[in-house]
Amino acid sequence: MLVEIRLIAVIVAVACALPGVFLVLRSLTMMSDAITHTVLLGIVLAFFITQDLNSPLLMIGATLMGVATVWLIETLQRTKLLGNDTAIGIVFPLFFSIAIILITRYAGDVHLDADSVLMGELAFAPFRRLTLFGMDLGPKSLWTMSVILALNAAFIGVFYKELKLTTFDPAFAAAVGFSPALLHYGLMTLVSLTAVGAYDSVGSILVVGFMVGPALTGYLLTNRLKQMIGIAVLAAVINSLIGIELAFLLDTSLAGMAAVVTGVTCLLAFLFSPEKGWIKKAALRRKQKREFYTWLEKEGIH
Amino acid sequence: MKKRAFLLIGMVAVFLAGCQWTATEAGEEDTDALQIVTTTTMITDLVEQIGGEHVQVEGLMGPGVDPHGYQATASDVIDMMEADVVVHNGLHLEAQLGEVFSGLDQQGKDVLVLEESIPEENLLASDDSAEAYDPHIWFSVENWKHSAAYITEKLSVIDPEHAEDYRANNERYQKELDKLEAYIAARIEEVPEESRYLITAHDAFHYFGEAFGFDVIGLQGLNTETEAGTRDVSNLAQFVADHRIKAVFVESSVPTRTIESLQAAVQQRGWEVTIGGELFSDALGDAAQNAETYVKMYRSNIDTIVDALK
Repeated sequence: MLVEIRLIAVIVAVACALPGVFLVLRSLTMMSDAITHTVLLGIVLAFFITQDLNSPLLMIGATLMGVATVWLIETLQRTKLLGNDTAIGIVFPLFFSIAIILITRYAGDVHLDADSVLMGELAFAPFRRLTLFGMDLGPKSLWTMSVILALNAAFIGVFYKELKLTTFDPAFAAAVGFSPALLHYGLMTLVSLTAVGAYDSVGSILVVGFMVGPALTGYLLTNRLKQMIGIAVLAAVINSLIGIELAFLLDTSLAGMAAVVTGVTCLLAFLFSPEKGWIKKAALRRKQKREFYTWLEKEGIH
Repeated sequence: MKKRAFLLIGMVAVFLAGCQWTATEAGEEDTDALQIVTTTTMITDLVEQIGGEHVQVEGLMGPGVDPHGYQATASDVIDMMEADVVVHNGLHLEAQLGEVFSGLDQQGKDVLVLEESIPEENLLASDDSAEAYDPHIWFSVENWKHSAAYITEKLSVIDPEHAEDYRANNERYQKELDKLEAYIAARIEEVPEESRYLITAHDAFHYFGEAFGFDVIGLQGLNTETEAGTRDVSNLAQFVADHRIKAVFVESSVPTRTIESLQAAVQQRGWEVTIGGELFSDALGDAAQNAETYVKMYRSNIDTIVDALK
């Protein structure tokens, strides 16, 4: 079961890191923050319809709500009446607070308390088993997240060229006949789905960290898309394994520790990246300054 | 790319295998004692009273921890894995954790729920429309006797070898609870009947009120997570002033802020109400507070209440 916890953590981390790469490249990380929160409203609404927390409708409802969030934010942005961040700042708290109010008002009895959705609980994940005909098939979240991971990998694998093109040159992509909008919404659907799948193991706050952190680490370390994906996946695996090890060592929250490690590796990459790192940049600036002064002196200008 | 992926999977596999090995190494606590995991401190104490030397009890929630705000740590996972028996309160007190516990019977663990031991007519309805019953069952000593008997009966089935000892422990404990009940009743006599109001931050004490003739009013509702509204505060302040209630109480597992704002509101209405002291509600205290067992906790609460109201 201790192995299962690590396995779930790794699979959640990798499943989040894959779409995260494109979120970082497209500067959509705040959008993912919005989605991971508004899916809660989808979960709550679907729950009111089905009255069953295990219903697959919850997943579908939440995913649709994520896509609706993206659509609404972008519609607001297109009006040009408010800034891009402002649109996110309006839509996401609105949806999220409606969800919280619905939960506290009508769903107190069910196990849908705001805490469990916000924080998740990786520690409980291996105890929620999937049984079929009396056979124990392992933790439920291991299955759902594996399926989501496979979907994410398949989407990126199949549409790799299109994603690359629309990410780096959307105008050209549109001109040669790719639809950036379709891919965009496809990606956002996956982000929503991943957020929903991960919410009961890592919670909707930390899931953003799992999406953005490893991808940003990759972004800081390379300029090539394939390498960036590779580094992001590797970072996701290493972060979650180290995080869980530390959590057992210090006896703290599992998902919380994994998120901390994710932040730390990201910071390390930020500081020490051989090309884009802060230290490298600072050294470069100092060198240029020195060169500039020596040039000034040589020219006799004071 | 593919080669690298395989390498990665290989690395992970080796790592996981390593963890597995260390886990089994560390997990070997060689005792015959029944490994029992409990949720709240009250239940931990109860199981220790009945199980005595034949059980090793691991409580997930420490002293002073509010069950509604409990966060699982890594070691809780290991405790739950190694447990032979898990015991929880039920009636949604433990939220997510309770749900996880209930599912553990599929993994060959015995799941005991105190909720089962209480006759239905003894359960109080909750004011919170969402929950059917008030989960704070331990504040009725009679209920706690039922729970003790229930634990005894279940432990005797699970571990028949020591059934005699469990029964003897239960007999001793029931007597202790009888004494506690007598003590409570005697002390309450010191409070004039018209002053028997217990006003606290959240509604944990209804079973106590029902059993011992107190009017219990909580500011926050059953769940410690819902905040008291401003109207609740002013209504209750009016009530306190009208009934000239001497003291209101804070609780160990709930922040004191709300009850302090109540005190201020009462003062505005021209009545001085004191804060009578700290009551233990959802968790026991520690040895320094002399409230580390259920009986001591209840005595401490009663002393606090009676001394402030008499």
